[in-house]
Amino acid sequence: MLGVLCLVMLFFFRDHPKVVSVQRGATDTVALTAGLVLAPLDAWDRLVAAFESRNALQDEVLRLEQENRVLKGQTQRLASLLSENARYKALLNSARDIDDELVVAQITSLSPDPARHVVILDKGAADGVMEGQPVLGAEGLIGQIVLVGEFNSRAVLITDSAHALPVQVNRSGLRAIAEGSGAIDRLVIRHLAATTDVRVGDLLVTSGLGGRFPHGYPVARVTNVTITPGDAFAMVNAAPSSALDRGRHVLVVARAAKQSEPANP
Amino acid sequence: MNRAHASWVIYVSLAGALLVMLLPMPLEWRILRPEIAALTLFYWTLALPHRVGVATACAVGLLQDLIEGAPLGLSSPGLMLATLVLLFSYQRVRQYDVALQSFIILVLLLLSSGVEQWLRNGIDIPVIPLSGILALVLSMLCWIPVRSILRHSRRHYEVY
Repeated sequence: MLGVLCLVMLFFFRDHPKVVSVQRGATDTVALTAGLVLAPLDAWDRLVAAFESRNALQDEVLRLEQENRVLKGQTQRLASLLSENARYKALLNSARDIDDELVVAQITSLSPDPARHVVILDKGAADGVMEGQPVLGAEGLIGQIVLVGEFNSRAVLITDSAHALPVQVNRSGLRAIAEGSGAIDRLVIRHLAATTDVRVGDLLVTSGLGGRFPHGYPVARVTNVTITPGDAFAMVNAAPSSALDRGRHVLVVARAAKQSEPANP
Repeated sequence: MNRAHASWVIYVSLAGALLVMLLPMPLEWRILRPEIAALTLFYWTLALPHRVGVATACAVGLLQDLIEGAPLGLSSPGLMLATLVLLFSYQRVRQYDVALQSFIILVLLLLSSGVEQWLRNGIDIPVIPLSGILALVLSMLCWIPVRSILRHSRRHYEVY
């Protein structure tokens, strides 16, 4: 009897708002419990960090300062490019892009399910995070939010084998769908005609099609293209730009820039 | 009918076993995490079949799904089926020596995760790769310590 109930819930009601709200609540409870269980480990880590040598910290500061200088330089160019771009868009009679609003979040843990690439973030609905929002790593897109609790959320990574996203080859503008492979360092593009122009080293960026991911975020770099004579499709592998299993801080795009919609004349 | 005594030990041990799922593991190693919650469930079913059974299995499965963020009801049917098999045969399994018991536990784990894989296929979420069997073998090896710890606590707190 209970078993039948479980199966009915699984097959027919797994997206029911009530079931999802229970899962949302559980996201927070689980994160809180994990925090409590891991508190002693965290305390130990902090203690070790407190005794980190002064030299190491100074080196770190120096490195970060240099990085900051480089990034600032690049931003200057970006600002001029953005204004230039806005002028062109105005010429084309389309709405100006609004800047993306970003929320900084921390990856607190991984989902225990070994078949999925799902991470738990420490920001939730209270911070403006919503389901479907893209998640960025340091060097590019890493995933999207799938379940939001009040103070925590779950994000599925682009390499999860149930995930696929629309991309575009930056060099040629060619559009494709990059699927997760289930391996943390590989994306797959399956249905590209064997005669299309894709080369190793090409950068894949989000194409903005489908409306889920904003246009233009780097996703992956093509690592190999296999063309089997006689096959209609080429097999393209790509490595995510951001190392998905490194780093703890991510950015959630809380409000994506509007895709250039035609302005009213 | 005898009255329950110290049944909180059962629930505390099940909760503790579920907490093992929350311990952080490197991404590629998650597949080796032993199924401590299922082992604890099987132990209590074997020891106190009149207290722990299919309903408890259902609850443990639902809690597992909530912790994993999986669709609710994914791991319950498998655990319930395995518990049911154990309920039908607990008197025999109790007589076996530890090695044979571990093997029976492996079979039960294969049954429950087999059902789970089938359900994953049914609702189109990624199935666990074949190397997941390693986790079940590790769980089988964990049966001996889990059994002795739970048996000690059962006798110490006089759970019945």
